[in-house]
Amino acid sequence: MAKDMSKKKIAIVGGGISGLLATIKVCELGGEVDLFSYCPVKRSHSLCAQGGINACMDTKGEHDSIYEHFDDTVYGGDFLADQIAVKGMVEAAPKLIKMFDRMGVPFTRTPEGVLDLRNFGGQKHKRTCFAGSTTGQQILYALDEQVRRWEVKGSVNKYEFWEFIKIIKNKEGICRGLVAQNMNTMEIRAFTADTVILATGGPGQVFGRCTASTICNGSAVSAVYQQGAEIANPEFIQIHPTAIPGSDKNRLMSEACRGEGGRVWVYKDGKPWYFLEEMYPAYGNLVPRDVASRAIYKVCVHMGLGINGENRVYLDLSHIDSGYLERKLGGILEMYSEFVGQDPRKVPMEIFPSVHYSMGGIWVDRVHNTNIPGLMASGECDYQYHGANRLGANSLLSAAYSGTVSGPEAMKWAKTGNKGSDLTDAELEAARREVQNEYDKILTMNGSENAHKLHHEMGDLMYKYVAIERDNNGLDTCLVELKKLLKRWNDIGITDHSTVANQEAMFVRQLRNMILYAMAITKGARMRDESRGAHAKIVLENGKQKHDKDGELVFMGRDDEHFMKVTIVNYDPKTEEPVISYRDFDHSLIKPRARNYAVAKKE
Amino acid sequence: MHTTFYLRRLHSLCGLLVLGFFIIEHMITNSVAMAGPEIFNQVMGMVEEIPKPVFYAIEIGMYAIPILFHGIYGIYIALQAKNNPERFGYIRNWNFTLQRWTAWYLVVFLIWHVGYLRIYIKGITGTPMSFELLQNMFQNPIVTILYVLGMWAAIFHFCNGITTFCMTWGITKGPRSQNVISAISMMMCAGLCVLTVAFMASYFVY
Amino acid sequence: MPDKVRFIIERQDGPNEKPYTQEFDVDYRPGLNVVAALMEIQKNPVTVDGKKVAPVTWECNCLEKVCGACMMVINGKARQACCALVDEIKQPIHLAPARTFPVIRDLLIDRSVMFESLKKIQGWVELDGSWDVKDAPIQNPYTAQTAYEISHCMTCGCCLEACPNVGPQSDFIGPAPTVQAYLFNLHPLGKFDAPKRLNALMEKGGITSCGNSQNCVEVCPKSIKLTTYLAQLNRDVNKQALRNMFNF
Ligand SMILES: Cc1cc2nc3c(=O)[nH]c(=O)nc-3n(C[C@H](O)[C@H](O)[C@H](O)COP(=O)(O)OP(=O)(O)OC[C@H]3O[C@@H](n4cnc5c(N)ncnc54)[C@H](O)[C@@H]3O)c2cc1C
Ligand code: HEM
Ligand code: SF4
Ligand code: SF4
Ligand code: FES
Repeated sequence: MAKDMSKKKIAIVGGGISGLLATIKVCELGGEVDLFSYCPVKRSHSLCAQGGINACMDTKGEHDSIYEHFDDTVYGGDFLADQIAVKGMVEAAPKLIKMFDRMGVPFTRTPEGVLDLRNFGGQKHKRTCFAGSTTGQQILYALDEQVRRWEVKGSVNKYEFWEFIKIIKNKEGICRGLVAQNMNTMEIRAFTADTVILATGGPGQVFGRCTASTICNGSAVSAVYQQGAEIANPEFIQIHPTAIPGSDKNRLMSEACRGEGGRVWVYKDGKPWYFLEEMYPAYGNLVPRDVASRAIYKVCVHMGLGINGENRVYLDLSHIDSGYLERKLGGILEMYSEFVGQDPRKVPMEIFPSVHYSMGGIWVDRVHNTNIPGLMASGECDYQYHGANRLGANSLLSAAYSGTVSGPEAMKWAKTGNKGSDLTDAELEAARREVQNEYDKILTMNGSENAHKLHHEMGDLMYKYVAIERDNNGLDTCLVELKKLLKRWNDIGITDHSTVANQEAMFVRQLRNMILYAMAITKGARMRDESRGAHAKIVLENGKQKHDKDGELVFMGRDDEHFMKVTIVNYDPKTEEPVISYRDFDHSLIKPRARNYAVAKKE
Repeated sequence: MHTTFYLRRLHSLCGLLVLGFFIIEHMITNSVAMAGPEIFNQVMGMVEEIPKPVFYAIEIGMYAIPILFHGIYGIYIALQAKNNPERFGYIRNWNFTLQRWTAWYLVVFLIWHVGYLRIYIKGITGTPMSFELLQNMFQNPIVTILYVLGMWAAIFHFCNGITTFCMTWGITKGPRSQNVISAISMMMCAGLCVLTVAFMASYFVY
Repeated sequence: MPDKVRFIIERQDGPNEKPYTQEFDVDYRPGLNVVAALMEIQKNPVTVDGKKVAPVTWECNCLEKVCGACMMVINGKARQACCALVDEIKQPIHLAPARTFPVIRDLLIDRSVMFESLKKIQGWVELDGSWDVKDAPIQNPYTAQTAYEISHCMTCGCCLEACPNVGPQSDFIGPAPTVQAYLFNLHPLGKFDAPKRLNALMEKGGITSCGNSQNCVEVCPKSIKLTTYLAQLNRDVNKQALRNMFNF
């Protein structure tokens, strides 16, 4: 079949919720999509999301309002989110939910058959729509189905099991295509596109163990960062307070557990101590994630009250009716039983905080253009909407919403943007050749290091220095160590020389990108001398961590004067190091106020 | 349009209703052997009374064509399965496998049984069926065993077929109703197998 | 408890290469699952005979039993590797690719046929567009619950690997895609196209290829009541056949 040459071609990298919605939008506007993904898009990481998606549906008689959602998001993000962008998102949210409902997402319903809502951290109203305990899976599937429909109509070409390697710019520096590699046949190919959208999700694997999928490695983001795209706010890494610690992965215990009445406690003086309820009487167990994580960390690490002295606390559901639990949380409870071998309906679960989500990502404007013309980003890989901390159930929303923005915007750019000259065949081949050469070089690496072991070490480093509590000493050390890792990367030895599905060689390439991303995170954290949202920095005194007279660690305060700005990270190709600068953003709608979850939020 | 669908459904209907009727009828006539040679031969004689055109019409229309269709299409179906009870040893999977194994045995058995008794003895040599003829045939223990196995195979195949028929036609939907039907048909299977042994034994008693 | 766990892995270097087996030992630790063990092998790909080999290739993403990627044959049974706890299965542990599907390499298989089947059954709601229309229809919460159950299917292919009627010898699309048709027939808007899906199921390789062995329902890691929905669909296609025949 002859291709319609006038059709605009959009390359979308990533088939999570964001990438799929962007795909649908582009198709509806008459464009053609090349959709790239590590895995069949139906297996994308978005399906791990359990808890739900926020939208002011107000079906529970609580007089929830869109403004309230707006304010909760901005407040929860410690006033570092672009408020105009957030406003657009929360306003669109109810419409998105209705659309998902029409698409067939089996949301949990009230006895009347309308959407049920649940509580979630950081909000005082029931605002979270959910499909049992697999909301992300259900939304992803509905989108996958719609995209399949467009695929049948010929508007979508899927490149599943293709890894995005880098973008191709034309003479004018405008992004006009990309290079990708087939992960099974190892074929490397250059593709042209009128616009490229990255929707590659989060960088959790930079921390080794996290709650995200193994494919959430941030490698694509790092690749475009090295090609000149700016990363924004990378230091804001959300630590989820309740995960099941594991050696292969920290498995998330949804915030919904707390939303449905789960209580967090440890033994103190032989009696259960519900420390969240005591420390934060207004929100209790439903304080936002950063607050809960730090409290758990403090109770275990500084007070030594963890279960059996280990870094674990109880998350208790055993006081709740098991029928109710089954209905509301069935899937995740089953998961706990399955991976731990104990029944959370009967005994309290044991949990500890884990790296979960990256608020930061590629810098984008409000319509999701990056600083490289022709390159857009949406979903978790961009930095928009969440500021310094994301509220639970807001990221499925941001992933979806950003897709509905980036898709049409990509078409607009494709039609009317100043795209400069077309890529010539020679330019395409040169880009392909470059990637091919890099890959061939990796295949010849015969040093003494094992890439997976290096990755593990990097994870340990990042957890040690750039996780829940940070201080400038640790961050400096971490940067030095990361540079060493980058050196050691050159000394990796490859055991797999196969020309079929060579996962080791691909991992080696990803690992280098991950190390560079880790450096951006660490440097961002090092330079931000304040505590804000997920970024909590300890004051140093005479080069040592400062304690107050009660022996408690002293954290820096929020410094709106100097740091109510977006961190911008540029890559310096000469030193391979991140270069930090700061950029203003729009916070004109809600005046910043102190973020304090010990008392109910005041407007 | 949807040829496979209609063929499959026909195969199923044919198996249960037509062949089902056939095997029940067969069981009944054969059970008469338990009443002794005289009565058995009397009944055989009655069958001979049926006017030939009607008899042939019934034999061909009701028996031969359905068996040929069910058998041949059944072979085609059985060839599409890779039986795997050694890996997935669930009862229903064993039954599924046995449904195929019995089918294969039935192909051979029916060719032999029909070919020898109906076509050769009765059709070509013109010898009428009688208690003595069968008794004579069962003097050979191997023949007896193969016949008992043939009957058992047909019985199992039919009874398990009732269970699967109910699924194929959506009559039993949930596991509970399916298990009930399955239990009933397996009891029936056991009953009919015992009955087979009983009437086969008559050839050695009288 | 033994401090080492022995893995006997059926490997294959490429789609058309001959399979062979290799054995690996992995340090035991509580809660160890098969994927975690394979990751350990990645870090130190040395067989029990001390031979340094290429690490084992397989597919996984979520490690939470929701993405469906890590399906393989473990001790003869098709299941997800990420939730196969070493403590709960017999050792030594045999791993093999699910050969119902073409093998790409080692334990990595090509399940694209399942996604193609979802096209055949028209597994989607015919949405006019992703724009705002008006309120979505109210849904019976009980029906929604059934839909929710079926909608858990993660296209892992366990049921296809277990189904004796799926494989190169047959054109059966298999239980998972078949049952998905029912999901869309339940939806208040998806219902409108139910006849199309039922007609698709009546095609060659459709629902009639099921022989009621019920392996699928036994192995489905998501406990989807596949055979119940197969029976329901059987009922529905029969009615559809009558409708087709008599045009009502
Ligand atoms: C355990 C867990 C639970 C969560 N629960 C919730 C929740 O309850 N509510 C909520 O709102 N949010 C939740 N989140 C967050 C939310 O799931 C994610 O932020 C969101 O799904 C991200 O979607 P995405 O479309 O941006 O990316 P993803 O879904 O991560 O998709 C990324 C896509 O990019 C592809 N890709 C990546 N790199 C490449 C490359 N180099 N080449 C080719 N393809 C590539 C991948 O294959 C994939 O298709 C949760 C997250 C986790 C980890
Ligand atoms: C000639 C040899 C025969 C062969 C090769 C054969 C083959 C088969 C096969 C393969 C099936 C399974 C069909 C499916 O899974 O859809 C089947 C089903 C069945 N057979 Fe036979 N069969 C034979 C003889 C018989 C006989 C003699 C009877 C009657 C007693 C019979 C009754 C049935 C019944 C009732 C079913 C169930 C139909 C259903 O599940 O819908 N078959 N047969
Ligand atoms: S019941 Fe049908 S679909 Fe399920 S395993 Fe058996 S033959 Fe396959
Ligand atoms: S029905 Fe169950 S076994 Fe089959 S693909 Fe879906 S989840 Fe896997
Ligand atoms: S890795 Fe996703 S199901 Fe096992």
